[in-house]
Amino acid sequence: MPRPTEKLVSLTIDGNEVQAPAGMMLADAALKYGDVEIPVFCYDAKIGPPVGACRMCLVEVEGIPKLQAGCSVAVTDGMVVHTDTPTVKAAQEAVLEFILINHPLDCPVCDKGGECPLQDNAFGWGGGLSRFIEPKRHFEKPLALSPLIAIDRERCILCYRCVRYSQEVAEDDQLVLEERGADTFVTTFDGHPYVAPFSGNIVELCPVGALTSRPYRFRARPWDIEQAGSVCTLCPAQCNVSFSVRDERVLRVLGRDHEGVDDGWLCDKGRFAYQAIHVDQRITEPLMRDGGELRPVTWELAIETAAKLLSHAGAKTGALVGGETTNEEGLLLTHLVREALGSNDIDSRPGGALELELLRALNAPTLQASVPDLQYAHAVLLLDCEPVDDAPILDLRLRKGVRHHGVKLLIASSRPSALDERAAHSARFAPGCGEAFAAALGAALAGKPSASLAQAAGADADDVAALAAQLREAGEEVVILWGERLTAGPRRNEGARALLNLADELGLDGRDGGGLLEIPSGTNSRGLRELGVLPNASIGLGDAPTVGRDSQQIGEALAAGDLSALILLHSDPLLDQPSSELWQRALGKASTVIAHAAFLTPAVLEHANIVFPAESYAEKEGTVVHPDSRVQRLRRSIARQGETRAEWALLAELAALLGNDPKALTCSMVSARIFDQVPFYNGLSLDLLGGVGIRWSERQAAASFPGAPSAPFTLDPPPAASSPNGLLRLGSFRSIWASPEVEASPALAFLHPRQRVEISPADAERLGISNGEIVTVASNGDSVNGLAQIRANAPVGTVFLQSSIPQQSAALLGGPMVEVKRA
Amino acid sequence: MTDTLLFKGIDEPGLNTIDVYLARGGYTQLQRALKMKRGDLITELTGSGLRGRGGAGFPIGKKASFIPKGDMQKYVVCNADESEPGTFKDRELIQKNPHQLIEGLIIAAFAVDATINYIYIRGEYEQQADILDAAISEARDRGIIGENIFGSGFSVELELARGAGAYICGEETGLLDSLEGKRGNPRLKPPFPANEGLFNGPTLINNVETLSAIPSIIELGAEGYAAIGVKDSAGTKLVSISGNIERPGNYEVELGISSREIIYGLAGGPPDGRKIKCWFPGGSSTPVLTADDLDVGYDYDSIEAAGSMLGSGAIIVVDETQSVVELAYKLAKFYSHESCGKCTPCREGTRWTFHMVERIKEGTATPMDLDIMAAVQEQIIGHCLCVLGDAMAMPIGSLIAKFRDEFEAEIEANRNERERKLAAEFAAAEVEIEGISA
Amino acid sequence: MADVQRHVARFTHGSRIPGWDRAADLEKEPAVVPDAATTEVPGELRAAIEDAVRRFPVGDSAFIPALYAVQAQYGWCSPEGIEQAAAVLGRTPAALTAVATFYDMFEMEPLGRKSVYVCTNISCSLVGADQLLAALEEELGEDPDVNLRGFECLGACDIAPMASVDGVYVGPIELGEVPELANQIRQGDDPLPAKQLIRRPCADPKVAEQ
Ligand SMILES: Cc1cc2nc3c(=O)[nH]c(=O)nc-3n(C[C@H](O)[C@H](O)[C@H](O)COP(=O)(O)O)c2cc1C
Ligand code: SF4
Ligand code: SF4
Ligand code: SF4
Ligand code: FES
Ligand code: FES
Repeated sequence: MPRPTEKLVSLTIDGNEVQAPAGMMLADAALKYGDVEIPVFCYDAKIGPPVGACRMCLVEVEGIPKLQAGCSVAVTDGMVVHTDTPTVKAAQEAVLEFILINHPLDCPVCDKGGECPLQDNAFGWGGGLSRFIEPKRHFEKPLALSPLIAIDRERCILCYRCVRYSQEVAEDDQLVLEERGADTFVTTFDGHPYVAPFSGNIVELCPVGALTSRPYRFRARPWDIEQAGSVCTLCPAQCNVSFSVRDERVLRVLGRDHEGVDDGWLCDKGRFAYQAIHVDQRITEPLMRDGGELRPVTWELAIETAAKLLSHAGAKTGALVGGETTNEEGLLLTHLVREALGSNDIDSRPGGALELELLRALNAPTLQASVPDLQYAHAVLLLDCEPVDDAPILDLRLRKGVRHHGVKLLIASSRPSALDERAAHSARFAPGCGEAFAAALGAALAGKPSASLAQAAGADADDVAALAAQLREAGEEVVILWGERLTAGPRRNEGARALLNLADELGLDGRDGGGLLEIPSGTNSRGLRELGVLPNASIGLGDAPTVGRDSQQIGEALAAGDLSALILLHSDPLLDQPSSELWQRALGKASTVIAHAAFLTPAVLEHANIVFPAESYAEKEGTVVHPDSRVQRLRRSIARQGETRAEWALLAELAALLGNDPKALTCSMVSARIFDQVPFYNGLSLDLLGGVGIRWSERQAAASFPGAPSAPFTLDPPPAASSPNGLLRLGSFRSIWASPEVEASPALAFLHPRQRVEISPADAERLGISNGEIVTVASNGDSVNGLAQIRANAPVGTVFLQSSIPQQSAALLGGPMVEVKRA
Repeated sequence: MTDTLLFKGIDEPGLNTIDVYLARGGYTQLQRALKMKRGDLITELTGSGLRGRGGAGFPIGKKASFIPKGDMQKYVVCNADESEPGTFKDRELIQKNPHQLIEGLIIAAFAVDATINYIYIRGEYEQQADILDAAISEARDRGIIGENIFGSGFSVELELARGAGAYICGEETGLLDSLEGKRGNPRLKPPFPANEGLFNGPTLINNVETLSAIPSIIELGAEGYAAIGVKDSAGTKLVSISGNIERPGNYEVELGISSREIIYGLAGGPPDGRKIKCWFPGGSSTPVLTADDLDVGYDYDSIEAAGSMLGSGAIIVVDETQSVVELAYKLAKFYSHESCGKCTPCREGTRWTFHMVERIKEGTATPMDLDIMAAVQEQIIGHCLCVLGDAMAMPIGSLIAKFRDEFEAEIEANRNERERKLAAEFAAAEVEIEGISA
Repeated sequence: MADVQRHVARFTHGSRIPGWDRAADLEKEPAVVPDAATTEVPGELRAAIEDAVRRFPVGDSAFIPALYAVQAQYGWCSPEGIEQAAAVLGRTPAALTAVATFYDMFEMEPLGRKSVYVCTNISCSLVGADQLLAALEEELGEDPDVNLRGFECLGACDIAPMASVDGVYVGPIELGEVPELANQIRQGDDPLPAKQLIRRPCADPKVAEQ
């Protein structure tokens, strides 16, 4: 639905004339425009419409005999409001007295103390007197609600925030109220823990110390921490965060509400994986391989050796750049590889290069949808992506759009989506056949449905037709949220063309409120591409003077001995690249592997000669680009841990040692250089970015974005789907929890994924497999094991395994067809 | 008074079956209504002066006129939750004359163009629900519920939903949440159900008795119906009378009749010639009146002028031998048990009040507690999300105001009693200790 | 304490309430929507729930009928039954328990299958309901097949003091009739047939005159 338009109304609050947008709740309007605070407990606009439960916010509205709940009365023209009359005062004191009669008041030992809305409201509006002498409600406390969250039910004021969040925001429906009246309490079903991708938000929502973070409990008091705002770089969603820092340690991560990015929420990875910054297994000093083992060495030795090895390899060096790399690091690494080493073999995209023209077309500013568009569009089509795994926070935004703004959600994916239940229509296609599906959908939209295209996609032709009809009827504002996997793999260029054709068919170019939004595989993939950290592009997505090898080709060239050195900047090809088999060979053959890493992930552990400690995101400065083109700024929030040094400086130093000094004296100097050299970033500055970032695609400079060919493209017909022969098709996915940071965070360790083999009931029956038993999945002599998980909605003929996990990863299997049997 | 309307022939054997009901001329008013224009029908309802019989007394015509026009799905929901202590009139209507209710409901549904409709009956009324269910099936089998009823082009569906034991589901928005399969917490108003009710559609919610009166309105015409009763209290009303009373039961009276006539004339007054200490005029949630108020006319305005409310039309008579503390105890226990817990003043205030009365009974309260208790009632009134909190605070407040001396006397007596007991126990214990030491 | 609880279910004098020590078992998996492929549901239960889903095509309106079906199947809203209902409804079991615990007629613990509700609200207690409950407790309190509990106003104050025996309303019950009634309950016989509400004529004299 189109965004609400803002019409101003005039009202009087405590004698002052105030203008506020019509429809805004009085409590918000009073605070924002009248500088009057109406105390609240249960109300928070981001959970949804008000429920009027706590009654803290009662105010007098002239003409209405009863006091009104300020959180739930929309402002109207001519309204006259009083928030400080004796009647209102009496009501506020009454409500606070009622709330406090069952409150334990253990402020001295309460984590919330000092930042507690109940303390604040009691101080500001309470009567300061309690006449309650009966026994208070008693609960055992604190109890575990989950490995991450503790619950102290005595402190709970039954404001409904947490349960509404679980039911109406995260929609996981695990946290509920049981019983009734004064016996009501917050709980889960039958003693099950509250474990869900976004559970931690309830800690921040709770207005009292009833829900506390177990990792944070008793670690600090508000007055001995400092808040430092930055950006979470653990996934492409780039949520804005605030680190609670004490003694140069991150003790907690809170959301830093940004409507254009995260809407105030964090996923549990973002909220709790800060622990990985301070664990022993983190690499915080340079390591060198010595007699097969990695051992700590001095920085001087590590840098010198690295420079020597690289200068020896020279142009025979390749580089893989991971998504957590900042723009500044990306620029300096390209300088190192291209200028200092004379190689063009650098890539930040796993799975092969995309034609530059197509990349430009996909990134064209006029075609970019924004994150808030997901919430207001007429329809959103998810194409070959799973938000909760790929960019978790977008999952919540989509749910909000469906729930509160009537967004029509359409899904096209191979694996069943967590959002299926909220979708107007979901269609399935065979894993890896996103391209064929997009082509089939495009054809259907164009009024030329093709059964053979649907068949090639392993999809149902009726499904394709239904989806096309829904898209056609939805209205103009359509967002296609698509996953990078659509443009990975052997038919990636066709995937891009098919997608561009879809956008063309829907007329998305230049459409306000609609467009394309990619979920790339890496956090800063967009920025790195725009900086030319690609084999076939120069800075600003210009033409590369010489086209180099892409990631796949780098692997092959290493394996063939055509390349001898490999730089891994925040990248582990054994986790990130599609084929483990190729990379095992490549890494085995490489004579030099220099890694910048925070953890000893498989490739680093087995193959790196030199390992430089990577900064954590709380230690970094620089910029990153959000998938919707928002340039955001990272700020250093804590001192670098151990011996860790600034990576941008290290990259500059290496280049200098190799005889080509990039002359980068500070990181902000590098940022400035980027804003200057990328034509469509021109005019940006760190100051302009401030704490909220700027979408470059909305600025004038966007006009200088390089031109691109326009759709429609003629498509090369996809190959026919291979016949199963009793085998199952392999699909893989990367879970939200598959990351080294999750593995390293003690509090999250319980979430770290084990391999599960998702299979349909029909296939399970045919293969004699029962739920929960160990099964083996094999192809071409390779095999992995996992627990069978029979899922009613799993598509028949397909088996899904996780990739990007250190053991038993799907990447170990060649596919596309696999054999599944009991172990 | 005029003839009975709602209770006409109510004890006729088999009236709950469609054949008897039809034979008695049932569903003819529906057929007449279906021939009317919707607007005229609503004007008829408005003109009748019929006010809601569920408790709030809101005119049904006015409520029906709030239902927006348009092709969105609209609903009529019949409130058959009847859980207000002292109230049992809907039960008799449902059990003995379910088709009258169905007929009235379909007329209302036609008036507001609601094609999907529900009756929400409290779960405890199992026998009545079974009877109603059977009646709905009969009506469906005869084509009175279904497509194009009586060839009018109007199609109507009706389902029975059973509650499961929660007084708050009688509150109209709590009922809607319950009907939607949620915990029966009242909703914030506005939006009012007429605009956004069941499944977010416009919804007309009315009590069983209100809807059951509709066929009579069609039969008598608005003017005919409005002629019964007194100004602003048109029609007949079922009064459930119980407590310390000779002939408890449901009586159909013309509004405006004197309360004394109901309590003494119809129901025979308290047994054994005992005097009335107080009486609830409209269910347990209305402020109590005393013997001095017996000559008040039994209609909306007169009862209000006397400081109480007509409510659901349930009179509970309390005779002079009863203790007001015990009465307050039962009230507080009920309302704190039934508070849904959503809003603070009701959830905490009802439970606190309960604990205070409990202490009065135990003998651990002082007269100061009575002041606190009265103050707590004031702190609840007008501050809650729905009026359940007020529903306790008003009667308890009125009890304290009207019987303060009795409360104080009982506080005193219970304290003395407790002290005497403690002293006796203490003495016994000392004897024992002495025994040991000896 | 147990005694107080019986008088009004889920209401205790003391300061502890049911669930006061309910912690999560961190070994358990989170209770997400049970997968239909791996949750076995008894046929009758499934049929009853699916029928309710047909009657209430929108939203979660089938929750209450589904919980009644679970209670009919197991005698109480057992976690197992709730999970099965959740699988059929495609909702989390927590969503169902949240609803079940709100209403008085759903039992969250295994109790006697015969339910006897004795009204102890105002009108009934004005004429001896508390004594009636005490007398019935004396007779049936120990019977494991009987779920005897005090209840709020059952909407039958005209037959006060009264009880609902598996949905059959009887009253006014005199203390002298309690042994007979208790016996009938134990035997599963029709309770006090002459005193059943269903047979009671209207009190209004105008009705009889018609
Ligand atoms: C706590 C509470 C309980 C109520 N219980 C009932 C009830 O059991 N039956 C009923 O018809 N109305 C009950 N009501 C009134 C309803 O909210 C609503 O006003 C009524 O159903 C409207 O129908 P009417 O206009 O026909 O009276 C209750 C209201 C409150 C606040
Ligand atoms: S929640 Fe707030 S008021 Fe309550 S104990 Fe904690 S700090 Fe104190
Ligand atoms: S636990 Fe916190 S957020 Fe949840 S209801 Fe209680 S006070 Fe509110
Ligand atoms: S007044 Fe009581 S019943 Fe009504 S919403 Fe508040 S807590 Fe619930
Ligand atoms: S903030 Fe308004 S009722 Fe809670
Ligand atoms: S008070 Fe007992 S049935 Fe109403």
